[in-house]
Amino acid sequence: MDHSHHMEMSYTDPNSTMPPSHHHPTTSASHSHGGGDSNMMMMMPMTFYFGFENVQLLFSGLVINTAGEMAGAFVAVFLLAMFYEGLKIARESLLRKSQVSIRYNSMPVPGPNGTILMETHKTVGQQMLSFPHLLQTVLHIIQVVISYFLMLIFMTYNGYLCIAVAAGAGTGYFLFSWKKAVVVDITEHCH
Amino acid sequence: MASMHFIFSDTVVLLFDFWSVHSPAGMALSVLVVLLLAVLYEGIKVGKAKLLDQVLMNLPTSISQQAIAETDGESAGSDSSPISRTHHRWYLCHFGQSLIHVIQVVIGYFIMLAVMSYNTWIFLGVVLGSAVGYYLAYPLLSMA
Repeated sequence: MDHSHHMEMSYTDPNSTMPPSHHHPTTSASHSHGGGDSNMMMMMPMTFYFGFENVQLLFSGLVINTAGEMAGAFVAVFLLAMFYEGLKIARESLLRKSQVSIRYNSMPVPGPNGTILMETHKTVGQQMLSFPHLLQTVLHIIQVVISYFLMLIFMTYNGYLCIAVAAGAGTGYFLFSWKKAVVVDITEHCH
Repeated sequence: MASMHFIFSDTVVLLFDFWSVHSPAGMALSVLVVLLLAVLYEGIKVGKAKLLDQVLMNLPTSISQQAIAETDGESAGSDSSPISRTHHRWYLCHFGQSLIHVIQVVIGYFIMLAVMSYNTWIFLGVVLGSAVGYYLAYPLLSMA
């Protein structure tokens, strides 16, 4: 039933405050519930809000309660998003540098007018147990974890933190992809 | 806690307080909006790659060689005005691309949050929108 998920969680801690009430579920849900918001509060907001009271961030000990803490969290999330963009670019350039083994496969294919043409395939790859590939794997794991952290931060629906993620991604792309764009022009003209 | 499994429902609140749906017509409209958002996301991905290609092709080689020299070591030469103007134009292009990147990131996260509502219609809208967007946009990538 679509209304039931509002009623499943009973709020047991009377001391902690809720995030600002303008995203309180009973204002947006379609059912009228007679103002019963004393023991039925949504622990996870489902719409965007701006606030810095009792914002839980990723880990259980990390709760933001003041504007100063929110500013610190903004900077930290901004830097995390920038680091994520830089990690992406760094992995790409590392991959390009470490691709040493180029194998050429030639195979005959039928061409027009019944002639036989030789088609050459070029494959680049890495050895499985080489250090560059292991490094790529470790960096891949770090990249996956950071991308999930950024998703979870965005999932707090806190407007300040979401803006920090977007701004950090944009700044990181601007700073790191500039170098990449320049390098790509010289080494390969088809990207 | 929010619903943790997919449900078919005509009632959902998407992303913002004012976007509350409580009728089949509203749900159909919301699915259409989410579908167009997913199409736009795929289009932006292709558009960004094409923009990068165009910028790199129109870029005079002297500016990239100069940028390489500057990143490798100190360049003692002074910029003559045509090169500094193309520098300026290229920085503007790259700034524009960064803005497009921010829009792409934000739209991607909005689509994720829409799917997080666990409403099956919205999810199908996202999937269909991604399919349509990919179908329409990716042939444009290989075009010159």
